[in-house]
Amino acid sequence: MIADNFIYCKPDTLREASAAYRTLLREDKTPFYYGGGSEIITMARAGSRIPDAVIDIKGIPECNTLEINDGDVVIGAAVTLNQIQESKLFPLLGITGSRIADHTNQCRITLGGNICGTIIYKETLLPLLLTDSTILTMGPRGRGRKLPVNKLFDRQIKLLKGEFIYQIRTDVSLTKADFTHVKKTANEKIDYPLLTVCTLETEGKLRLAFSGMYSHPFRSTNIEDAINHTDLTIEEKLDMALSLLPDFPLTDSEGSGEYRKFVFRNTLKEIIERHEND
Amino acid sequence: MITKLTQNIPRKESWDKVTGKAVYTDDLPITNHYCARILPSPHASARIKSINIQKAAEIPGVKAVITGQEYSVLCGPTLLDRPPLAKDCVRYAGEPVAIVVALDEATALQAVRLIEVDYEVMPALLSPLDSIKKDAPLLHPQISSYTHVVEDIYPIEKSNISAQYHIRKGNIEEGFANSDIIVEETFHLPPSDHLAMEVRTARAEISADGKVLITTASQSPFTVAKDIAKAFQISPGDIEVHVPFVGGAFGGKANVSLEFLAYMASKKVNGHPVRVIIPREEDMTSAPSKLGMDATIKIGAAKDGKIQGAKFEFHVDCGAYSDIAPYMTKAITADCTGPYNIENLVCDSYCVYTNHTYATSYRGFGHLSYTYCVERTLDQLAKKCNLDPLKFRLLNAIKPGDLAPNQVISTYSNTGNTALCLEKLKGIIHWNGPQITNIDENIVRATGISCLWKAATPPSNAVSGALITFNSDGSLNLNTGVVEMGNGGQTNLAQILAEKLKMDINKIHVTLNVNTRLNPEHYKTVASISAYMAGNAVVRAADDIISQLKSIGSQVYSCKPEEIEVSDSKVYCIKAPTNYTEFKDIIAGYKTEGGASIGEPVLAKGGYMLKGITVLDPKTGKGRSGPSWTVGAQAVEIEFDKRDCTYRIINATTVMDVGQVLNPNSMREMIMGGMAMGLSMASRENYSYNKQGRLKTPNLRTYKLLHIGQEPKYKVEFVETPQTDSPFGTRGISEHGIIGMPAALANALSLASEVNIRELPITPEYLWKQRKEKYDS
Repeated sequence: MIADNFIYCKPDTLREASAAYRTLLREDKTPFYYGGGSEIITMARAGSRIPDAVIDIKGIPECNTLEINDGDVVIGAAVTLNQIQESKLFPLLGITGSRIADHTNQCRITLGGNICGTIIYKETLLPLLLTDSTILTMGPRGRGRKLPVNKLFDRQIKLLKGEFIYQIRTDVSLTKADFTHVKKTANEKIDYPLLTVCTLETEGKLRLAFSGMYSHPFRSTNIEDAINHTDLTIEEKLDMALSLLPDFPLTDSEGSGEYRKFVFRNTLKEIIERHEND
Repeated sequence: MITKLTQNIPRKESWDKVTGKAVYTDDLPITNHYCARILPSPHASARIKSINIQKAAEIPGVKAVITGQEYSVLCGPTLLDRPPLAKDCVRYAGEPVAIVVALDEATALQAVRLIEVDYEVMPALLSPLDSIKKDAPLLHPQISSYTHVVEDIYPIEKSNISAQYHIRKGNIEEGFANSDIIVEETFHLPPSDHLAMEVRTARAEISADGKVLITTASQSPFTVAKDIAKAFQISPGDIEVHVPFVGGAFGGKANVSLEFLAYMASKKVNGHPVRVIIPREEDMTSAPSKLGMDATIKIGAAKDGKIQGAKFEFHVDCGAYSDIAPYMTKAITADCTGPYNIENLVCDSYCVYTNHTYATSYRGFGHLSYTYCVERTLDQLAKKCNLDPLKFRLLNAIKPGDLAPNQVISTYSNTGNTALCLEKLKGIIHWNGPQITNIDENIVRATGISCLWKAATPPSNAVSGALITFNSDGSLNLNTGVVEMGNGGQTNLAQILAEKLKMDINKIHVTLNVNTRLNPEHYKTVASISAYMAGNAVVRAADDIISQLKSIGSQVYSCKPEEIEVSDSKVYCIKAPTNYTEFKDIIAGYKTEGGASIGEPVLAKGGYMLKGITVLDPKTGKGRSGPSWTVGAQAVEIEFDKRDCTYRIINATTVMDVGQVLNPNSMREMIMGGMAMGLSMASRENYSYNKQGRLKTPNLRTYKLLHIGQEPKYKVEFVETPQTDSPFGTRGISEHGIIGMPAALANALSLASEVNIRELPITPEYLWKQRKEKYDS
């Protein structure tokens, strides 16, 4: 529960949503767009970010799309992790979402919220990064943008002030590619990741994206090249992948950076062995 | 139908609980109540230079802002060292600094954020070992001037030590001289939290003539009345305390704290009803937690495995205020060996202030902490003696005639039968010595064991009472002061009464809420002694009923009172059992066919006061600190993955000497609950503080507990060695399931991982780090 008072708007269209944002700004508010609200509740309870106004995008039809259209899987930003899983339209995204939080929260957390929230793990981004998905946004003046996810995301989602994501489109053929999803936590089934790895196989090569290693998820083509190298032993690949990590990993209450490196190497080993044995 | 002690009886409150109808303190209507929220300190140690409440007070809807400056009250159950609101300085991050009383919560919260406090941040002491260093800053420079609430508390002047207790038994030099093998280990156990499902809360209102009404989620309603009376100079009889259902407590609601704030808040708004609420996050940081501990354990044994001597040193991390921690330190000292016979024993225990959240009682009252250290060392010692750790424990188990650490002579009645628990455990888990079983090339299975014991350490003036009245259908109302907090205490008492009166338990109604105006005083619903203390009071009240019914019956049947039998809600003369009178026709006095009246309405009572409890000798620890022990033996089986040091808990088993089985399923559930809590604590739970002394995980997103799906298979079996002075021989069991679990888990994991585990919680990362250091060096 959020004990503080705040303004709640529920627009019916994308344009109404951006208009509401402009209006609230003029009233000196700091509005948040939101879908599920689980993060807003946590932050408000902790007193770290208390909203004075929220714009609920769940009433906007485009934000609730979940279908195949014109060769793309199209998912609205307000679609929940559980709806994605049950639709079976994008199995890797489905399974990734099914390992974020518990079932109750999976019925609440939305794809847009997981990508745009302050949470550092953003695990649903991994399948999107691997499939070069396209993000559709609506700006504060009612102007939309259409961007490849790898352009919009670099350590953080680079949205303009008042801009929000309303849809994500992914090439159907890539959602059908072979994949793996491995999540390692400190001690729990349900927890933030020490490391989450998603892989996708295209033309016999692995694409890899990681969450948990840093305060943002990442996909590294350099690490992909090392793993896909045909002349290296597994041990050599692992050593090279470790050396290609962009930074020393994160230390937080889930685990130390040193331990994350250990888990990274172990997990990667499992993945490569499985890939090479197939 | 007559209910038996060994029958499985659903709890009296089951239907209300499973349908969500049970009412807890914060479920009560909030109509006409102001809402109060606290401002917690962001610093672990700081001087309060000034507090500016002006902006907060100006918010419309704010009724009052209270700071510690307004009162010079100190509180605490052992040593008066804690101001209800911080005054002049803060000693832990989360300490309440001010309260805002407002029309509603949103307004209160808005105002709380506008209070401006100017702090001068001071260095924080975050380990008891740092606190006892010579040049450590003093958390309580005025320690020597604090009022002692209990007689046996011995603070050390100009130190951070609020209490100390010692054991000197036998001759330790001789003990170690006779030892062929000596093991010495150091241990570090962090604080953690109770995490009852119901967050703490309290309400207060003051009538026009000054009568105070407190409604609170508390294990100690009678103490609440006494403590508020003492702190604010009110006559205790002018304070009425209500306790509805309590949604779990685990010792954490025995402490009196929010009740003071609720009283101060209501007082400030002219007695208007005020509810003080704290969210989960503040329940974790501001309200008291479980103690931490640093320990050094040295135990010596002869080659044959017989323990010759032991020397223990415990530094209890009690946090910023002493609360009940001195008595936990005392309990740790009095029971420091576990259920073993150690003739030559030295124990030095210190209760040490740090800038952590202060500690209060937690399921097991400190026993799980020392048990972990001692049982880990015993496993090491058994290994070095080349002995099976179970046989090693059997060899040293305490038996009648042996002396406990406090030199009380052990009997089967006061201690139970440890050896029998171990023997039974051995059979259940198919123990065949310490073994590592390979499941595949990476995964191994192993089992660890631990014994447990615990005596309650109540004050010698602890009392309990029972009142019984009748309804027109012949059913009874059993009225005690025991708080129902998920422990099934009321049902246990009803079962004792049913057994005593040989009647159907369904015809016994209980009072599930406590009202100090109506219910007879029960010390506190703590220490697993409700069945013992309130049970004895119930037995006496039942005797009172029987005696009254015999008297009336003898007049009805014109026979001697001793010829009257009371059974199955009937009264009759043993010479003619078929000619009976039902309770409903006799409990309000008997009316003959001719219209004559016989006897009086039956109203019964029973009181109980603990006897024979003495203070421990300050130098030797000699004395009787509790009425009796409950012993047990536990085992945990795990599967360990050598690749990544992760593990699964497969089986957890407890054999406990319960004295007499009472409501077996309920006893099993209670013991399993303790086991689950112990495994959760040992595998995950940790109050980890950052360098500034702020809790790193102050919410349930990041503070982890054992969840459904991670639980092992639980097995609980009983041994029955009656405690002769207890109702039907039954023993306290409510806390005990937790005590040996951390040690048994660590012993299993040490065996499987080859790591000498000396910390908690045991995380895969900890095991990885230890293995890495071991193999790298």
